[in-house]
Amino acid sequence: MQQWVQLILDWSEVWALLIPIIIYKKQPVLYQPVVSYLWCALFINLTIDFVWKFRMVIPSVYNSNNYLYNVHSIIRFSLFTLFFIQLNQPFLVWIKKIVPILFLIFFVINFGWYEQFFNYSVFSSRLLAVEAFFLLFYVLQYYLFKINENVEVNIFTPDFWITTGLGIYMVINFFIFLLYNELSTRLQTFAISLWNVHNISYIIFNLFIAKSLHESSKQ
Amino acid sequence: MNQANNDIRLLLVVGIAAMFLLFATILLIFIFTQRKKLQYQQSLHSLKESQQLQLVEASVRSEETERHRIAEELHNEVGALLSSAKLHLLTIKLPDDDSYNQQLYQKGNELIDESIQKIRGISHSLHSHILQSFGLNEAIKHFMEKLTNGSLITATTALDYNYTTTEPPQSDTSIYRIIQELLNNILKHAHANEIHITSKYENESLTFTIIHNGIGLSQELFEEIRYTSDGMGLKNIQNRINLLKANLNFSKSNELYFIQISLPKPMPDGTPGS
Repeated sequence: MQQWVQLILDWSEVWALLIPIIIYKKQPVLYQPVVSYLWCALFINLTIDFVWKFRMVIPSVYNSNNYLYNVHSIIRFSLFTLFFIQLNQPFLVWIKKIVPILFLIFFVINFGWYEQFFNYSVFSSRLLAVEAFFLLFYVLQYYLFKINENVEVNIFTPDFWITTGLGIYMVINFFIFLLYNELSTRLQTFAISLWNVHNISYIIFNLFIAKSLHESSKQ
Repeated sequence: MNQANNDIRLLLVVGIAAMFLLFATILLIFIFTQRKKLQYQQSLHSLKESQQLQLVEASVRSEETERHRIAEELHNEVGALLSSAKLHLLTIKLPDDDSYNQQLYQKGNELIDESIQKIRGISHSLHSHILQSFGLNEAIKHFMEKLTNGSLITATTALDYNYTTTEPPQSDTSIYRIIQELLNNILKHAHANEIHITSKYENESLTFTIIHNGIGLSQELFEEIRYTSDGMGLKNIQNRINLLKANLNFSKSNELYFIQISLPKPMPDGTPGS
């Protein structure tokens, strides 16, 4: 039983994405970055899980999936940044425009001098934590803007569901991402079991996206 | 080493818990303030709506009062003057052989009679005393009979007599005025020669259907000319419909046009329901 649960959780980064993908119908331009994210994430996560599950049969040069987490992180940051910019909320506009530049500067400095992007043994904890930090900034500024804005009809709009899902995912995972490299060297078993927490939060994130895209197609 | 590992574990658990609690608090504050704002806006909206309805009600009431005043003035003042003029005319003695003046006298007499009739008609139409004395169904029936009187129009009614006037009778006056205006429009613009009115009273809600064979309105056209037309008729109809919280629907089927007025069940205090 426990093995089955573990198997389901191990593959959750793939099947959880299928929930919003199956549900969504034609979406407005505003939600296109999220739709693109779902397809990109599905492709990357599928590769990650295949590499992990068949690491014994894959040649050793190719059997690391850690750099794919880095790729996933960059794509997620780019597409959700686009989503928040497209929301067109006239609040902290210049800071929102600076965030991608800051992320790019961090990326160049970090992978130019301090870390290797294609590291065989670990993904970049620093990259994922910085990504989580910036995305959390977007989430918080979304709420602050909405508090000042007049509510028309409904609080629970499709963009609210996406933002809240992303917020929950990043809040849970910020410290996991930040300390994962440290944990994987010191407490490897704990680190592996901790990834289940990440997977559960990823399922929640996808359920929120599914809810959002469902609401959006109804409108 | 073990101590350091435990510290990392603790940092992780406390970090996740603190972040999650902080986020949950922000989310709850957000939802709470948004709900408050929404409630405030909804109450503001309903206040505006009720103020608007009060204005419409006041304008409809003053219109009705003005109609009654004009009707009474016409009946009591102009009608009395015309009757007096007729009496004076009747006292004039003309020689029997003066056929020219005899003809003029006859014509004058006929014109005064016609004027008295017209004044009575207008006065009755404005005052709606049949509505107040005999109720809505009789008033509609009487109005339909007046429409067909001496014309080629066939007008029939099939009204539900289970409906009796409710107190206060302002709703009936508004329904009557709506039907009056619609029928006048059908004659004036749709050029119908067959009109049929039915009513149905079920579960305390009343529905009128006017069917005619003229060139009627579709719902879209009604919505369009209601805003663009300068005429007061359709605006008055819509004001009264809003006041009654009723629905007005225009449709067409088999070359016949249908106008349906659906009135909701009134509230316990007698005000129109929603």
